[in-house]
Amino acid sequence: MKKLLTLAAFAAGMSGLSVSAHAQDCTTKVGAVLPTSVDWGRPIAEVAQFAVDQVNEAGGAAGCKIEMVLRDTQVDPKVGVDAAKALVDLEGVNVLLGAVSSGVSMPILTSVTAPGGVMQMSCCSSSTAFTKLSEEGKTNGLWFRTFATTAVQSAMGAKVASDKGYKSVAILYKNDDWGQDMARLIAADFAAAGIEVTGSVAINDAQPSYRAEVTEALGGSPDAIYLALYPNEGTSAVREWISLGGTQNMILANSLKSDEFRDNVGLQYLENALGTDTASPRVASADAFKAAYVEKFGSEPNGPGLANSFDAAMIALLAMEAAGANASGADIAAAVAKVTDPDGAPITADVAGVTAAKETLAGGGTVKYQGATGDVRFDANGDVSAPAVIWKFTDSGTDEVEYLSLGEVDAFIASLKK
Amino acid sequence: MIQHLVDGILVGSFLSLGAIGLTMVMHILRFANFSHAELLSIGAYCALVFDKLFESLSPFLAAKIGPLSMTAALALSILVSMALTGLSAVVIDRLVFRRVREKGGELSMVFASFGMSLVIRNVIGLIFGLSSELYSRDIAFAMVISRDPLLLVKPDQVFVLIAALLIMFALYLVLSRTRFGFALRAIAENPNLAQVHGVNLKRMIVAVWLIGGSLGAIAGVFYGLSYQITPVMGRDLVLPIFAATIVGGIGSVYGAVLGGFIVGVASNLALVILPSGYSPSVPFLMILLVLLIRPNGLFGEARA
Repeated sequence: MKKLLTLAAFAAGMSGLSVSAHAQDCTTKVGAVLPTSVDWGRPIAEVAQFAVDQVNEAGGAAGCKIEMVLRDTQVDPKVGVDAAKALVDLEGVNVLLGAVSSGVSMPILTSVTAPGGVMQMSCCSSSTAFTKLSEEGKTNGLWFRTFATTAVQSAMGAKVASDKGYKSVAILYKNDDWGQDMARLIAADFAAAGIEVTGSVAINDAQPSYRAEVTEALGGSPDAIYLALYPNEGTSAVREWISLGGTQNMILANSLKSDEFRDNVGLQYLENALGTDTASPRVASADAFKAAYVEKFGSEPNGPGLANSFDAAMIALLAMEAAGANASGADIAAAVAKVTDPDGAPITADVAGVTAAKETLAGGGTVKYQGATGDVRFDANGDVSAPAVIWKFTDSGTDEVEYLSLGEVDAFIASLKK
Repeated sequence: MIQHLVDGILVGSFLSLGAIGLTMVMHILRFANFSHAELLSIGAYCALVFDKLFESLSPFLAAKIGPLSMTAALALSILVSMALTGLSAVVIDRLVFRRVREKGGELSMVFASFGMSLVIRNVIGLIFGLSSELYSRDIAFAMVISRDPLLLVKPDQVFVLIAALLIMFALYLVLSRTRFGFALRAIAENPNLAQVHGVNLKRMIVAVWLIGGSLGAIAGVFYGLSYQITPVMGRDLVLPIFAATIVGGIGSVYGAVLGGFIVGVASNLALVILPSGYSPSVPFLMILLVLLIRPNGLFGEARA
């Protein structure tokens, strides 16, 4: 018995020792599966490494230096899953960054990270299929993404309709994954905003005539029409709509933000058309990221997903810090809320910010991460929202009608969910 | 319901025009010409070029005729386009189809026509760009025929329907009352026997292409007038036109006319029962249904 106690004390002493020793020379690996073999994928990986470097400069996370092990997905689900498997099984990572495409992230989530208890944080996957999967409880709370889903776009459509006082709206949507997704979301959002949906009609591309579809939508004589279409069939359907006496009160998805659509429908018919789109945040932290990026890479961060990739890496590492040493993937995932707490102490996305975050977290507090995409806040499904703009067509292109900050977008989405 | 019926008849009018040319070519040259719908594109783009040309030559021509979005310039360019499209059909036959016909089998012809359709489509895309074009950017508003049940008709569509019916009637007169018409029908019936009786086969083939091409051109312009002109309009139209031809029975001009209207009406009425996502399947269902009941189409005759 006495021997056992001694042993326990010894072990406790050792573990205490090891914690302090770790801070000096241990390394924790995190995995990244990104399409580095395509030209727009490499900068996404580079900016993630940039985030890792800054955390290391501030002393690493959870007492250890961080090493990001990067594997290429080649934008191929099979390659991506193999890469993720290797990182989890061979490198033993608890945190996986990536992938970019929804089609790659999804099989990794369902066959590698969710069953393996590894936290996955994607910079760029936008499909609402992830939201659905999470609602069904199949992600085990391990899935996060820093890229806004189409839900933001649809909520803004509902906002336009309610601001304009439309009582009833018909929906024309492109009959593909994106369009069906949009139609489903917007119908729910209209309903939540108390706006009647008089009809929701699929538009197949490459049809000789959309007359029947338009007639169908015209049937409910709605106050306005919501268009989730691409310019080509959009032009055809909208001209038909207008010529049949349909209302010119239109709400457009960002896919119709096109000169071709404006010219062929005619600006005179688009005066009451308002479009929605997501926007980059107009906050100091986003500008700071831009400046830091220019300093590091010598060019503006104009590629897709760069700000999102930076934030994904940063938040993942901060969560590792918050979860402490020897944390499992689930522990780290649970700690994400501690570093993206809206009531926490605000921190910047740089070395000083990470240092400040470490102090706050060590003291048992929570922090509010203010990053490249603004104040990132995940909902229960690991989704984020984004700032939005409402736009209209002008002679020379499009003009911004209204800018909604992240807070305003979130508040509106929350009001819909009530 | 009534609106769908009326819309279907209006859509059917240019399907019929396209199907007449196709059914004649399929019957006389004995191959399924998948590039036929591209003649509609050629016609539509030809008319677009000459429409702009005539309008710039004389502002008088640019004025609209009555309530139509049709201008005198466009009416003239339809005539030019008919001639040019007919000629291009003949040229395509000379360059491609005749050579394949002499050397290869029926299947080679089908593949050649597939290839030809891709070539034509992409050449048009190269010249005119991939975005859609319009004869007139103004939107012609529909007239309210009745409020309850709601029935809306565009003046253009009425014009297209009447013009299509007139053209079909003229063709009927030619086929049933003239020597040329008899010769054409004889060739379709039995090329060898017709040649023995002194009908010039080569000249008749040229005539078939000219008629098919010019009717296609009219259909293309009418389509462009009602909707929009894109390089891929041939691709969008090829299946409904084929369906109209097969439903009517290959070789039957009257069948093609009826087939066009049947397919147009069926596609429109289908939306009353089917969700619009399934509407592209309707022409195929029509083909299946008709072939199950009458394997040679409504007006077609069995042929060895």
